[in-house]
Amino acid sequence: MTTVTKRGPWTIWKDVIFALFAREIRTGFNDKFGLSWAVVNPIVFIFVLSFIRGRLSGGETHTMPTFTFMAIGILFIQSFLQTMGSAARSINKNKSLFAFRQVQPISAVLACVLFELLVKIFVIMGVVLVMYFMNIEIQISDPLLLLSCFLLLWMLGVALGLLFGIAELFISEIGKIRGLITRPLFFISGVFFSLQDFPKEYWHFLDWNPILHAIELTRYSVYSTYGNEGVSLNYLSGIVLIITFFSLSVYQVSWKQAISR
Amino acid sequence: MIRLENITKYYPSKLGKQYIFKDLSFDIPSGHNIGILGSNGAGKSTLFRLLAGSEYPNKGKIITDLSLSWPVALTTGIHQQMTGRENTRFIGRVNGIADLDEYERRVIKFAELGEKFDLPVKSYSSGMKPRLAFACSIGIDFDVYLIDEVTSVGDAKFRKKAKEALLERSEKANVIMVSHEMKEIRQFCDSAIVLHKGELTFYNDLEQGIERYQAL
Repeated sequence: MTTVTKRGPWTIWKDVIFALFAREIRTGFNDKFGLSWAVVNPIVFIFVLSFIRGRLSGGETHTMPTFTFMAIGILFIQSFLQTMGSAARSINKNKSLFAFRQVQPISAVLACVLFELLVKIFVIMGVVLVMYFMNIEIQISDPLLLLSCFLLLWMLGVALGLLFGIAELFISEIGKIRGLITRPLFFISGVFFSLQDFPKEYWHFLDWNPILHAIELTRYSVYSTYGNEGVSLNYLSGIVLIITFFSLSVYQVSWKQAISR
Repeated sequence: MIRLENITKYYPSKLGKQYIFKDLSFDIPSGHNIGILGSNGAGKSTLFRLLAGSEYPNKGKIITDLSLSWPVALTTGIHQQMTGRENTRFIGRVNGIADLDEYERRVIKFAELGEKFDLPVKSYSSGMKPRLAFACSIGIDFDVYLIDEVTSVGDAKFRKKAKEALLERSEKANVIMVSHEMKEIRQFCDSAIVLHKGELTFYNDLEQGIERYQAL
């Protein structure tokens, strides 16, 4: 007899997230490239852009190799955009699974963003490997700051993705708006430039953006000579905390109605 | 017993709120195999999904201490790209099956898909998919199985098997099913709930219920 074990809420969560995670890996990449595409694709993108930019502008940008400068920018903006996008999409995509009362929208989001996190870790390893073969100096002066920036940005992506995912169940057009407003982020988040390249009196146009803070702080964490003027970890973590709190509150209040439409 | 308490359920639409149930209170007695009868759009599937916890009412609540299956429709929770085995394990994990291998064996035995069990579901014929879906649910010991027109697609042999499996479990488990075929309902059920204009009426005698339904 196959008995159903009586599970506590945490165990149910764990089981469901694991099941969804396995499903995500199995179904997300069904062609011959398989899972490797998720890792190879961003590495190639980062490599090409960073390499060209490095060639164009000479070896160094604000005391750090241009390749590293660019690689950090693209890696971070991509990890933010992709985490947010797939978190938002995961809710709608797994809608049919909410027929099982054990599966809640947030489990789908968590399974999906954990997968993204894993992929990004492999991408980072790949980029570091490429840098090693290109004889680019690899150094980290503040690993803890690097890690916190990466995880905070990931969390920001998760929180905003959850918020958008829930909102899109109510009004599906929000999905299109999300695509529209996330596109400029690539250009205003300091991926191709540093805040230091701008005169101070114009900083207020840019420095509201927590992604810019995360990227600039990460560059600082790798090369302390890069400087951290104008950006702060407190601001970044404050914003992430507020948005996460807000997003979880909205979720808690509205998820039952959101999947009952 | 499944108790519905002051359930209000509507769907938003261009024409305003479309009410399915308004302040409905009802007790669904246990120990009966119940067929839910109602015309198209009366809210049979909605009632089903509410019972299963796939959706939630706008107001009110559903109280029960029974374990209910998910609403077993043609392809609920089955992914086209995954194989039958992977789908089975997914459903098993979500439902918290203690022994996944044993569950898998049970589904294999019941679904009779042969080696197709290891092929993606999209290659299945239209009769095989519901067989898998049904096998997945009957493989788990629920108190109440919610069946949504699944059995009507299978061939005679499968239907007989489904009936035997449910009968075998009938001392402990019951079925609540939706179907438009009276033959189906007669085969599986002994009583009926007629759903009309947001009101539920329980008929202990199935024939009485069907008579009422056909008079609608």
